[in-house]
Amino acid sequence: MSGLVLSLLDTVLDAAPALVFAAVGATLSERAGVVNVGVEGMMRAGAFAAAAAALVMPTPLGVVVGVAAGALVGALHGGLCIFARSDQVVSGMAINLVMLALGQFLLEAGFSSPSGTPPITQLPRWLGHSPLTWLAVVTPHMIHGLMERTAWGLRVRAVGEKPEAVAAMGVRVSRLRLGAVMASGALAGLGGAHLSTAVLDRFEHHMPAGLGFMAVAAMVFGRWTPLGAALAALFFSFGNALRLSLASSFPGLVEHVPQGVLLALPYALTLLVLTFQRPGLARAPAALGRPYDPELR
Amino acid sequence: MTTIALRGISKRFGTQLALDDVSLELKAGERVAVVGENGAGKSSLMNVLYGLYAADRGEVHVDGRAVRIRTPADALALGIGMVHQHFTLVPTLTVVENVVLGREPTRLGLLDAQRARHEVQATCARFGFSLELDARVDTLTVGSQQKVEIVKALHRGVRTLILDEPTAVLTPQEADELFSVTRRLSDEGLTVVLISHKLREVLAFATRVAVLRRGTKVAEVAATAATPESLAELMVGPRAPSATASDARPTDVVAALVRVSAGKLRDVSCVVRAGEVLGIAGVDGNGQRELAEVLTGLRVVDGGTLTVLGEASKLTPGLARALGVAHVPEDRLKHAVVTDFSVAENVALGRQRRPPFAKGPRIDVEGRLVRTTALLEAHDVRPRAPGLRVGALSGGNQQKLVVGRELDGAPKLLVAVQPTRGLDLAAVDAVRARLLAFRASGGAVVLVSLDLDEVLALADRLLVLHEGRVTGEFSRGAFDERLIGQRMLGVLDA
Amino acid sequence: MPEPTGPSSRQAAVRAALPSVLAIATSLVVCFVAVAVLRGGVEVAVDAFLAMTWGAIGDLPKLVDGASIAVLLRPWGESATKAALLTLTGLSVAVAFRVGLFNIGAQGQLMVGALAAAVVGAGVELPAFAHVTLCLLAAGAAGALYALGPALLKLRRGVHEVISTIMLNWVAVSLVENWLVPGPLRAQVGGGNSVAGTAQVHESAELPRLVGEVSRLNAGILLAVVAALVLWLWLSRFVGGYEWRAVGLGPEAARAAGIDVAGAVVRAMVTSGALAGLAGAVLVLGTEQRYPATLGAPYGFDGIAMALIGNGHPLGVLATSVLFGGLRAGGTRMQLFGVHKSFPELIQGLALLLVAARLIWVRLVDRLAPPRGGGP
Repeated sequence: MSGLVLSLLDTVLDAAPALVFAAVGATLSERAGVVNVGVEGMMRAGAFAAAAAALVMPTPLGVVVGVAAGALVGALHGGLCIFARSDQVVSGMAINLVMLALGQFLLEAGFSSPSGTPPITQLPRWLGHSPLTWLAVVTPHMIHGLMERTAWGLRVRAVGEKPEAVAAMGVRVSRLRLGAVMASGALAGLGGAHLSTAVLDRFEHHMPAGLGFMAVAAMVFGRWTPLGAALAALFFSFGNALRLSLASSFPGLVEHVPQGVLLALPYALTLLVLTFQRPGLARAPAALGRPYDPELR
Repeated sequence: MTTIALRGISKRFGTQLALDDVSLELKAGERVAVVGENGAGKSSLMNVLYGLYAADRGEVHVDGRAVRIRTPADALALGIGMVHQHFTLVPTLTVVENVVLGREPTRLGLLDAQRARHEVQATCARFGFSLELDARVDTLTVGSQQKVEIVKALHRGVRTLILDEPTAVLTPQEADELFSVTRRLSDEGLTVVLISHKLREVLAFATRVAVLRRGTKVAEVAATAATPESLAELMVGPRAPSATASDARPTDVVAALVRVSAGKLRDVSCVVRAGEVLGIAGVDGNGQRELAEVLTGLRVVDGGTLTVLGEASKLTPGLARALGVAHVPEDRLKHAVVTDFSVAENVALGRQRRPPFAKGPRIDVEGRLVRTTALLEAHDVRPRAPGLRVGALSGGNQQKLVVGRELDGAPKLLVAVQPTRGLDLAAVDAVRARLLAFRASGGAVVLVSLDLDEVLALADRLLVLHEGRVTGEFSRGAFDERLIGQRMLGVLDA
Repeated sequence: MPEPTGPSSRQAAVRAALPSVLAIATSLVVCFVAVAVLRGGVEVAVDAFLAMTWGAIGDLPKLVDGASIAVLLRPWGESATKAALLTLTGLSVAVAFRVGLFNIGAQGQLMVGALAAAVVGAGVELPAFAHVTLCLLAAGAAGALYALGPALLKLRRGVHEVISTIMLNWVAVSLVENWLVPGPLRAQVGGGNSVAGTAQVHESAELPRLVGEVSRLNAGILLAVVAALVLWLWLSRFVGGYEWRAVGLGPEAARAAGIDVAGAVVRAMVTSGALAGLAGAVLVLGTEQRYPATLGAPYGFDGIAMALIGNGHPLGVLATSVLFGGLRAGGTRMQLFGVHKSFPELIQGLALLLVAARLIWVRLVDRLAPPRGGGP
């Protein structure tokens, strides 16, 4: 039994960081008032860029490139939402679709392979796990501190609630929001990089296979707070790991409870929680999705 | 010594010229009022000074130096602060957090919460404000929130403070307190600019008054040399006196409330009769909105009996319309029109299933066009373009369209909330004339307005609401402004 | 002074369509340059794009050289098949948009629709026409039911439909493709062999082919065109459609006008789900003949792109879908030039991104051709 627990923990520590980074990142963007359903695309950018870069440079540097790629896609999303005042959900979905196709195209063009990049050197392991795993343990706390204990965090919290207030105090709403969305993209990129440099040793064409959407769910589940989002991400990862280890430890179980049903469980559970929580408890930032235009009358 | 000079400011919104070559000088320690009717350009002028709007033409000089104020940050750096009519506070943050926002004290990169608190406390002490520093702003009263706004500006060390319609949301006592505080601040050297259309408070507070009309400055006078009447004439210009009510002949009861409670409304009983205008007076947020929603079926009654046009059952918006209740809501862009619909589509809204707007399940485009064309003509909505997006009309024409539509189907009861707010003068007159014409033809009108003057001008009978209860009822002829004012505050026997 | 008049409806339609047209054109140019740069020159790019074009609309040069009509019909079949799927999912997303809901769940609704079609197609025996009809009805009903949940959650519990439909997509993938299809519904084949996916549907349940065995051109595209036309008429000519639009553009005003907002939302969302379910049926009955191990292409998500590029207008969605259906069918031919067959999806994604920046295009159009009329 303890073997089961240990293997469970192992699986979670390996798999969860991608989701944790992305979910925590998503809170940054949304707390600043910019809807981010483009996490999936940002993760994909990070995963691809990290793996592609790691082919020609040390893998840790590749991870940095992945983070930068995520931030760049974040900047694109932010630019569209803030300066072109696009519908934020539309922009996010557009980014997802572009990144889906662009990843495939670049795989073909750059590596003549539709399925994935050539293998790279994986990140080294510290205490049995990638350094990113340990980074994922501290990141939610760091972002929590950033939001609650710094001037920038105060401004981000304010701009998501009432951008007019921030503008009236002489802070540029557009710059603040763009920064938050880029930081969100950077964290999503880091999550993606974790997939291609730590979980696997290459970029595979289906990455991140819906994890970005899960990250958005985790953010909502975690009530738009970094720690809550991280906990929700852990919960989802744990559920998945439990399913995998149960399936391997007790093959008979699968006959009674099909894999697919277990697989559906975290999503169904999220829906149930959203359905039965008291309205108003999971309050989204008041200005979420609302572009700011000082001359709007 | 002139501290601030605005020279030749012009500002255009789309096709509308909001400010046309306006100049204004502000001297240190002065109390200047900028007055004008709705849409005269008062707020626009000050928003230009505060960097919220970019002027199309003109210059701003501070202490004799030409400056460019592109953002509120620029304005704050020049010592100019503004308290907006709609507060710019973050409701989920504390007083301290709101005040230091944008210039937060930090230590080693982290927010220094203690220092922030001390600094804000010092500002409050220095200027004589007492505030609950650690309370979340959304737990404060409106009056306290306004104090936070002023402290915010003072904390930034402003030397000029712009107050945009500061008393619109305050009770008269809160307003008195505001003016005594700001007068003291101005005695200490602060320049105060008061934007208002309430002439009595302007004359009581300001030393100098600038009058704007339709985007131009038409006069600048010393307060001692002006009377409310002279200012009003300057603001309004030569025009026929607005229509006012006279000799009503109320007949049948069209709506009756017996001890109705709903939301803020508590035990309200009243009747509305055909052929009269029932005015509802009160300070903002005392149940007027709820009363209008109850009568139009938008709000479910929690207790008591509501009878509208003989129907005592549960009223829905659809049923209310079918019975003959028309509604001119306060926020017309949200509740009265679909801005992305054409004028013709909006004319059909609310009766889209009936001829001439429908033939069976299908839209009758022809019939709708004919009806729309006639309505635009009858109510002088410009341009006469049935295919135009309603969002592209000016506010006045949108409101004329709404009033026209609501009166079009021969309704029996019209519920109008703030029907002239934000309109230019011609449109105000047009809307008021329509309401009175409707009354004269035997219609019943419930008029909710925060502008007591409007209620006094139009109502045949007047109810005062305070904290959701009826605290007074007056008939035309027995209107006593002082008494009504007291009832608005909930003072019952004075 | 004459009163300015509003722009005519035709002008308005052109203005509304221009941003999308410009976005698609820009996207095509950018992707052309990308191929030219990455694949060795403009000539290669020209050849690749020509191959894609002939693959989409039929090989005209070969026809001129005397080849049989099949060189036209075969590509048409491929293009039309893809266009039908894109149109139906695009309409699904567009109709939800009309009442102000963002249905990201078209993919899940498509899956349950496809499964329903596969089950009814294989499990019931009926005469041809009745069987196809029953399969389509089952698929539509399944999709509609699957979309009803998010609508009710939104109305009753205030759960944002974007979140609930994302969740339901994953529930659908998990239950359908990880349990039902490989498990209880897996095709039973004699002799211990087994194939992936559900049992093959009966011939009577297959969508009729329009031009015989030469081409895969089937009735799916007719269904899609009819759906687009019906939806267009409903939204523009019927009071019910007017009410849907009012609910989407001004929910508060619609409520104040006495319109049944909740009812409109439910009906539109059910229609949306039914259209996505129909797309699933067209995929199963027209192309796959069974629910395969995995559906592969995320047509539900492509529907979002179609709806947005088509500006939410049924005919715009149809036009966009025909274009991208053709590009996708033709895209397979680009592989000869070292360009992956998913290249048209890149064009599509980029076009969507550019459409998302609609405001920029609107400003550009306004500057180049200032609108007539407007306010006083």
